[in-house]
Amino acid sequence: MTATTLPAADHAADGHGHGGGHYTTLGLDNRKVAIWTFIGSECMLFASLISTYLIYKGRSIKGPFPHETWTEPSTGKVFPAILDIPVTSASTFVLLMSSFAMVLALAAVQNKNLPKNTMGEKILGSSKLWLWVTCLMGTMFLGFQAFEFTAFIREGLTIRTNLFGSSFFTLTGFHGAHVAVGVCWLFSLLAIDYKRGLQPSDAMNVDIAALYWHFVDVIWIVIFTLVYLIK
Amino acid sequence: MNFMFRHRRWFTVALLAAMAVGASACGAYPNSTFNHTTDFNTSIDSLWDKLLFWGTLVFIGVEAALIFVIIKFKRRPGGADPKPVHGNTMLEILWTGIPAVILIFIAIPTVRTIFATQAKAAPDALQVEVIGHQWWWEFRYPEYGITTANELYLPKGRTVNFALTTVDVLHSFWIPQLGGKRDLITNRTNYLWFTPNDDLATQALNGFCAEYCGSSHANMKFRAYTVEPEEFERWAQHQARPAVFPASAGAAAATVGTVSQAPAGAMEIAMEGGDAQDSLNAVAAAVAPAPMLEPYEFAREQLPAHVIPTTRLPKNISFDESLLAQGDAERGREIYSRSSCIGCHAIKGNPMSMGVLGPNLTHVASRHTIASGYYINDAKHLALWIKNATKMKPGSLMPAIGIGERDLVLKVDVTAARGGLTDPQIADIVAYLQALK
Amino acid sequence: MATIAAAPPYTQTAAESSNTGLWSWLTTVDHKRIGVLYLVTSLIFFVIGGLEAFLIRAQLAVPNGQVLSADMYNQLFTMHGTTMVFLAIMPLSAAFFNFLIPLQIGARDVAFPRLNAFSYWIYLLGGIFITVPIFFAVAPDGGWFGYAPLSTKQYSPQINMDFWVLGLQILGISSLAAAFNFITTIINMRAPGMHLMRMPIFTWMSFVVQFLVALAFPVITVALVFLQFDRFFGTNFYAIGAGADPLLWQHLFWVFGHPEVYILILPAFGLVSEVLPTFSRKPLFGYPVMVYSGILIGFLGFGVWAHHMFSVGMGPIADAVFSLTTMLIAIPTGVKIFNWLATMWDGQLRFTVAMKFGVALVGMFTIGGISGVMHSSPPADLQQTDTYFIVAHFHYVLFGGSMFGLFAGLYYYFPKISGRFMSEKLGNWHFWLSLIGMNLTFFPMHFSGLLGMPRRTYQYDAGQGLDLFNMLSTIGTLVLMLGTLFGLINLWKSWKSGERASSNPWGAPTIEWAIPSPPPEHNFDELPKITSRYPLWDLKGTVIAKETTVAEEAGFVQRSAKQLGIPMPNPSIMPLITAAGVIFMFSGMLFTDSNIVLAIGIMITGALWWISALYNWLMTPLEDAH
Repeated sequence: MTATTLPAADHAADGHGHGGGHYTTLGLDNRKVAIWTFIGSECMLFASLISTYLIYKGRSIKGPFPHETWTEPSTGKVFPAILDIPVTSASTFVLLMSSFAMVLALAAVQNKNLPKNTMGEKILGSSKLWLWVTCLMGTMFLGFQAFEFTAFIREGLTIRTNLFGSSFFTLTGFHGAHVAVGVCWLFSLLAIDYKRGLQPSDAMNVDIAALYWHFVDVIWIVIFTLVYLIK
Repeated sequence: MNFMFRHRRWFTVALLAAMAVGASACGAYPNSTFNHTTDFNTSIDSLWDKLLFWGTLVFIGVEAALIFVIIKFKRRPGGADPKPVHGNTMLEILWTGIPAVILIFIAIPTVRTIFATQAKAAPDALQVEVIGHQWWWEFRYPEYGITTANELYLPKGRTVNFALTTVDVLHSFWIPQLGGKRDLITNRTNYLWFTPNDDLATQALNGFCAEYCGSSHANMKFRAYTVEPEEFERWAQHQARPAVFPASAGAAAATVGTVSQAPAGAMEIAMEGGDAQDSLNAVAAAVAPAPMLEPYEFAREQLPAHVIPTTRLPKNISFDESLLAQGDAERGREIYSRSSCIGCHAIKGNPMSMGVLGPNLTHVASRHTIASGYYINDAKHLALWIKNATKMKPGSLMPAIGIGERDLVLKVDVTAARGGLTDPQIADIVAYLQALK
Repeated sequence: MATIAAAPPYTQTAAESSNTGLWSWLTTVDHKRIGVLYLVTSLIFFVIGGLEAFLIRAQLAVPNGQVLSADMYNQLFTMHGTTMVFLAIMPLSAAFFNFLIPLQIGARDVAFPRLNAFSYWIYLLGGIFITVPIFFAVAPDGGWFGYAPLSTKQYSPQINMDFWVLGLQILGISSLAAAFNFITTIINMRAPGMHLMRMPIFTWMSFVVQFLVALAFPVITVALVFLQFDRFFGTNFYAIGAGADPLLWQHLFWVFGHPEVYILILPAFGLVSEVLPTFSRKPLFGYPVMVYSGILIGFLGFGVWAHHMFSVGMGPIADAVFSLTTMLIAIPTGVKIFNWLATMWDGQLRFTVAMKFGVALVGMFTIGGISGVMHSSPPADLQQTDTYFIVAHFHYVLFGGSMFGLFAGLYYYFPKISGRFMSEKLGNWHFWLSLIGMNLTFFPMHFSGLLGMPRRTYQYDAGQGLDLFNMLSTIGTLVLMLGTLFGLINLWKSWKSGERASSNPWGAPTIEWAIPSPPPEHNFDELPKITSRYPLWDLKGTVIAKETTVAEEAGFVQRSAKQLGIPMPNPSIMPLITAAGVIFMFSGMLFTDSNIVLAIGIMITGALWWISALYNWLMTPLEDAH
């Protein structure tokens, strides 16, 4: 005699025999749930970094400063306001556009098997093209950031200079690192695409990369507004 | 209402009994927080009584229920399975509500006390600047132009407003017998004020650093003496003056030296205070021929046991005590004045000694402890301390001075070339410091 | 609709029994085995943390103690706190998350089995990284809270705090990876019919905890990154000369640190909420309220952090606000206590060791909760904070609460984990000595604190009225150690030769008790369909619960996953190799000061190491194609 019996779920719900697609409660892929969780966690990371930047804003006891010129008392040397908003606006535009390309790349992978007749359909349906565009735009953003950082260092602001320097470089550096990880991720997908072609069954892998990429993009909008635009 | 009243009365009886026990044990618990010695700790303690009352009530209620349940509902052999109750909304609302009501009884006096105790101090309060250092306390009375260390004198009946700052890491200023603590935060100034009761006994109390601050956090203590206003005036006037030295030389000569130095010193301190009115007062106090009062210090022989440190001496350091009897204060002053001591210490009246990193030694002999309440202030401990402070107190930032000693912090051996001193020289310095009454 | 018979200690198939060598442990991705790894590792760290505590108490037994130097004492209290929080209690909870969550929700494994293994290896290696220095007297010495600026290079120039900063960063990776994994698992891998409001309460509390981890750990990560940058690259986040505000660290630390308190206690609450109903033979009283109060505690936990900072001078308004939010937390917590009492009320209480620990949690946590309310009042807290009163408070919460709850869970679930009972006889010694020992250790601390003894002091003078309390605490520590010794002996002996347990030896209601003890690799032969909160209980008849016995389950042969055609994840060494690469990379930072070339070399090697291992891992499918 056995004391306990459990009713079994319908066979369809069981985790095997369905071409690898495991049963999930929400019907969503686990990876998708996980990336959203990860993004939630990342929000707290950037919230902490941004808060620190804002708390320390205006508290540096010496320059250079983001929006004001500063004259070094001992030498009389004048340091202009350090942030270059036109250049960063351009890089922001590039990053925004890369999100657009990412959307097209994902759509291209999802619709890989649809017939492509016109030139336009062929262009829109090329996952390689749009992944390349996203990657290059991401890389271009990193290039802008590298240019910006070296310019600041030349102008006398390093991560060690003052509270502004420390919090600015750490915040934007962390964002840049996220972009760099995203670019590597996308290049990996591109490599797979060249090796065996990304199929609609791979769409989830592209989907989560895209979610991450959009998140990094959105965070930049917040940073750009709070750090660059608001004085 | 009646219910509350009866509880209050019951509680008052219990409280009185507890206070009787507490009073008899007063000497036994010299750092107790259950005192009504100031307005500050009176309000804290009355809040504590409420917390203790409600806490005890909840404690007894829950634990009694738990014990009842354990005994009453213990499984009996052959007992039928209980009725599967899943919950009861009324009950759950009830025991969400009851704690909420209790919390209101705590929250209202809490918020009141917060705002009462954190209001701005009365403008006529005695200002005391407390400056934390690893691991000692600097106290300044800008009104009097006094800079001293590790020993506080507080007049009864006058509000004292502490301005708390630190030159290095975080510390926390705490005299448990007089009230709650407040942290010393780098790059910030915190305030804490209270008024010692008029009718307080003249007593010596312990103060502690309550925020972990590194190696010798445990050894960062201080003393607070609550004294009569008149005693305080005598103490303050004396402390404000430069050291009277040499004590044995003609008193007239000493007085001349004193007077010529006083205004400059007072001015300097007043400037640091930064307040014009203060600086005027200080200058006036120093220049105007105020009536000379008999100097006051808390009588050494009346020190209660709990303010006398019981620190054990380290085994790896010794000093020939017979040398101490031969120490000569005048020689000591000369040695001191060209030693490395003056890099860190100031002695008002000794123009060579202007350091600010270490405790001000102007009236060091009037203090009862050294090394931030870590040793009693006598010739033997002073000698050992000067010889090698790094052995005497963990992490001490005062370097070892005795030739042949190993400085445990800087990790170097002290030699004559490095400015080390011999034991007889140290004995002379001890004699000098002991003369700085 | 098929039914699955509940099942018994089964005969292992040949394939499984060959699967027990060291290599199988290094490559395992089975959540149950990883749970066991967590269990054993965290108990070892618990013993290390306990020995550290013993040395602390030995030093404090008498005034002006001479057992330890000031610096050694400071290292020990720092490591005691760090070890118990990050290496003992959190991973002991993780042992239960791993073992139980998939079983309780009716899943075959966690969402990402290899990530789960990775979390464990990071924890183990990170734990070793941060623990080893104490044996060379170079352990972290800035307190488990690492307040700046004391923890900056200016005031802690030695290597000690480097181990702490890097070690906590490493351990954070483990906790975060596990949190993403379990959140996904609980959201997305519940068996059909396992609605959220049917989930076992332990899984619920764990669910809340994973959100706390996911949202709180990034904050301390940022705080530590700042400290790390300050120490290694000379940034200014906590540099007082640059005008930095030391309260930045405190706010960031406690925004993490207070949710952390609930990360430590909620799993224990969950376990006790499983134990009490089973041994009372009554459903949990007010299940929905227990769930909501857990969520509320987690939610409010993010709004009370500054009650750790009442003495820093935030001003009356902030003090008042944080005081009130803190008091609010007492309400859902109180509801839990009352609901536990009501669960036992009118029950048929069976006092196994598990039940004793569970009931003791209710009693002891109440004491910790009450003293907690006492310092939610800022003026009163000004006399209490940084004294032994606080030490008493949080040890009632963490030992009387977390540890007792986890011990209750251990005695309760040991039969499921190992297929054997723990000895009740040794368990009783363990329980009573722990209960007496903890009260003897920590109750006197209420007095020593309120009578003026500051925390974190390696010596106190004689004549302060503190001698008796300290001596009692030290004696209590000895009793506590003896009790723990009984517990460990019990664990060891029971593992080897404990009495055999059936599938549901306690007559428990939740589905993990419907499968054999220990469960087969694939957990469920067929995924169950859940129709109620207590699937194994008959809540309509006169007999609610029925224990199964070994005898009645004799002869049952468990079929393996292979026989059943269930695809199982392949073992993989890559999680371990990746974790080792991460640790290697971090350890490079230790050489930044002494040899920058070596440091950069190690870091680049480590980075290449773990990145290539990660690619290998990601490019290898989890399961064989089928």
